[in-house]
Amino acid sequence: MNEAEMSRTDWNELAELALKHIRAAGAEYGDIRILDSTTQIVHGEDRRIAAIRDMRDSGFGVRALYHGAWGFAASSVMSLEEIPRVTELAVGIAKGSALLATERVQLAGEPVYVETVVTPQRVNPFTVPLEEKAKLLLETMEKLHAHAGVARSNATLWARRDLKLFASTEGSKINFNLLAVHGDIEATAVHDGRFASRGFNTPHLRTGYELITDANFLAEAPRVAAQAVEKVKAPPVEAGQYDLILDPEHLSLTIHESCGHPSELDRALGYEANYAGTSFLTPDKLGTFRYGSSHVNLVADNTEPETLAATGYDDDGVACQKWDIIREGIFVGYCTNREVALKIGQHRSRGSNRADGWSSVPIVRIANIGLAPGQAKLEDMIADVKRGIYIEGHGSFSIDQQRYNFQFGGDAFWLIENGKRAHMLRDVIYHGITPEFWGNCDAVADATHRQRYGFITCGKGQPSQSGWMTHAASHARIRKVSVIRGEAGP
Amino acid sequence: MSEERSATQAKLTSREEFRFLTDLVLKHSTGEHTFVALQDVYSGTTRFANNQIVQNVNVHRVSLAVTVAFGQQHGTASTTDLTGGAVRETVRRAEEIAKVAPPDPEYLPPVGPQSYIQRLSSRPETVRAGPDRRLAYAREAIELCKTDNLRAAGIVSSSVATVGVAASTGLFAYEERTGARFSLTAMGENSTGWASNEHRSIDRLGVTERTRVAIEKAKRSTDPKEFPAGRYTVILEPAAVAGLMTWLMWMLDAKSYDKGTSPFREKLGERILDQRLTLKNRPEHADLLGSGFTGEGLPSNDFGWIDAGVLTQLDYDRFTAKEHQVEVIPTLEAPCLSGNGSTVPSVEELVRSTQRGILVTNFWYLRIVNPTDLTLTGMTRDGTFLIEDGQVTTGLRNFRFHESPLQALNQIEAFTVPMEASSAETGKLLVPALKIRDFNFSSVTRF
Repeated sequence: MNEAEMSRTDWNELAELALKHIRAAGAEYGDIRILDSTTQIVHGEDRRIAAIRDMRDSGFGVRALYHGAWGFAASSVMSLEEIPRVTELAVGIAKGSALLATERVQLAGEPVYVETVVTPQRVNPFTVPLEEKAKLLLETMEKLHAHAGVARSNATLWARRDLKLFASTEGSKINFNLLAVHGDIEATAVHDGRFASRGFNTPHLRTGYELITDANFLAEAPRVAAQAVEKVKAPPVEAGQYDLILDPEHLSLTIHESCGHPSELDRALGYEANYAGTSFLTPDKLGTFRYGSSHVNLVADNTEPETLAATGYDDDGVACQKWDIIREGIFVGYCTNREVALKIGQHRSRGSNRADGWSSVPIVRIANIGLAPGQAKLEDMIADVKRGIYIEGHGSFSIDQQRYNFQFGGDAFWLIENGKRAHMLRDVIYHGITPEFWGNCDAVADATHRQRYGFITCGKGQPSQSGWMTHAASHARIRKVSVIRGEAGP
Repeated sequence: MSEERSATQAKLTSREEFRFLTDLVLKHSTGEHTFVALQDVYSGTTRFANNQIVQNVNVHRVSLAVTVAFGQQHGTASTTDLTGGAVRETVRRAEEIAKVAPPDPEYLPPVGPQSYIQRLSSRPETVRAGPDRRLAYAREAIELCKTDNLRAAGIVSSSVATVGVAASTGLFAYEERTGARFSLTAMGENSTGWASNEHRSIDRLGVTERTRVAIEKAKRSTDPKEFPAGRYTVILEPAAVAGLMTWLMWMLDAKSYDKGTSPFREKLGERILDQRLTLKNRPEHADLLGSGFTGEGLPSNDFGWIDAGVLTQLDYDRFTAKEHQVEVIPTLEAPCLSGNGSTVPSVEELVRSTQRGILVTNFWYLRIVNPTDLTLTGMTRDGTFLIEDGQVTTGLRNFRFHESPLQALNQIEAFTVPMEASSAETGKLLVPALKIRDFNFSSVTRF
């Protein structure tokens, strides 16, 4: 649907009706988000196209703030009759919440916006013929299986389009026409009773199908297959202390878990204590706590084009921004929304309030937090390692609920001996405590090594929602990390 | 708002309406086979933290998915708009996909008409429950925590759904399902305690009793001590056992077994767990979330999966089942793990029988470390205690574990009867609390 079609659906009329009911009910604030989302998935496994799905998901959600307490109601029935029911329900729920309020919710100020945000694209992924997509995946899987030792394969193309209208009682009215695209392939090799997988994927980015074309899966498939076989046959890691060189894709997960989540202010204030957890980065540490070495600069940037959280405005109607989370190793910033920002004396939200759809209430989400490039060259970083491991991609991951104790695997591992990559390893698992780990970072590669990866499955909230954000990084070197072998003990 | 259905409560798709929608889809589909799936859900969650409501939501979501097949070519489209025009458009989109999809050698037509056993999948008290009921439970948990100078964080949720599947083969299944959940974290200055339950009936959440459990755990774990990593005798409460069992059950995929990419490779028919343990599906059990049929319209059934420690079933997709001539596909939506032989009546009795060990309330962030041997990792959470001379003596800082359930569940010293268990990372199960020797805690965290 294009913008002209959007207007034909009378969304403006639905929004005005909702806002009128919210105001009439006496709520001090309210907003409505109307969404029409289309997700297309082409999924292949083991040399066949297992599923092609085209999913349309439309509906609206109404938020009302009444006497300092929130109510939210949502429905997939998009009609003028449904709007009053849902709006009255939202206000009614807010009145119930207000009965137990001990502290009134107040919202940080934000200008009123009337805007339209559109994802730039060269090729609309929804106009690319499905036959072409299926053919690409089938040919890629054939190439994966062409390598002896590969037993299984996966290949997936994913595209999402969100048409959205945000309208608030303050007067903001923002239209969105957003795209996101992703593709991935994976080979699984079997050897001597073991199996191991190796993958290759594009990031999830807000761009067009050109992301898939440029990734060139057909060219990458032989390398992926060969490395899957090499990985399953590789010697297991010997437990001990190693220097690690982490690639940008791997770092996206490390940053996400050990910096992203603890920098969400709602967690630090206890809002997520029953599920996602709290944070060791409590407000008393803001501006003084040494999180990492002076090489560590973690910057939130929701303004960088193509990144997942760069949507122009968040679901509070706050404009996207760029700010520091960790500056030269010191903790200096949080991800916030209009509600929690005021609780630590900040008078403007960082614009990190996002919902995963019309049926979800917006909550504080990790921004596009990235590791700022340093000055080093990757070759020099490796050359300066006597005994280390080079890690690419994502593997096993787990972290405690305050984000201190973490454990990560990876997708591929190479032993570094005397400044050179020697051979692959398997079953590499490293663990550490967040500030100690980042405190041992002694080099970050320069901007020529910078890559962007991200997530669309970040779980948080009850009911659980999936958050979207991008984490950019250049390679980083972390000294003296404890590595164990990832297998059941004797 | 009243507890009875009010003007603000959503109206869900009835059996007759689903039949009408099915007829509409089948009338407009030109496919050789057509399959229709309905999910119409009205749900609400009241979320609290720091002793007040922070989120209070009600959502009505209806979704209809249509799969159309021409020979081995198939495509699926879905919509949340059930107007006639949108449904016809959804059929057209599914047809367009199917016409260009490569033939899928594993595609099978939808199953034909089936016989279903009526399950206790819906409870009227949960259907009637609304924001007021949730608020009352939240208020009770908060007030009890405040009495003990603790902060309450948690949820009360309830839902009612109508679910249906139908097909051009004559398949037609429809049922109403309800669900309710209570989860509470009681927070002290440097300690937390947790309890949770999930049930078809909102009357069976046990809010008062579970709130007291969470409070007691928070109070007992004040000023937790740090203990070194190592192998310990542990008592895993049911929620922690459910975490291990959930990963074990997720890995029972039959196709992976065939392809050599399963941790159970060559173990079908072999003993994988302590010979006193048996895992069965119990869809008729009132405390489990049994339902009448699967997403493909297959009837739920009460197969055994692990019998006296021996793996007897795998999780079959229909194609793999056909390859293996498995005629009745076993389902596992209502798992019950039980111990044969002498059981201990309670967790407290397990503690009393332990000279030195660690009591674990729950695990958090469980993930696979090694899929070949099912090594898992995860953290203890919300109540980890030292046991000395049969008594809980102090709270402990949380551990990371590194262990395969295929190993740990062969090191069992004692167990209780099956008890209700559910956590943020599991569904609803009935499992015993287990006393396990030499459980591997690989590191410690700071709280």
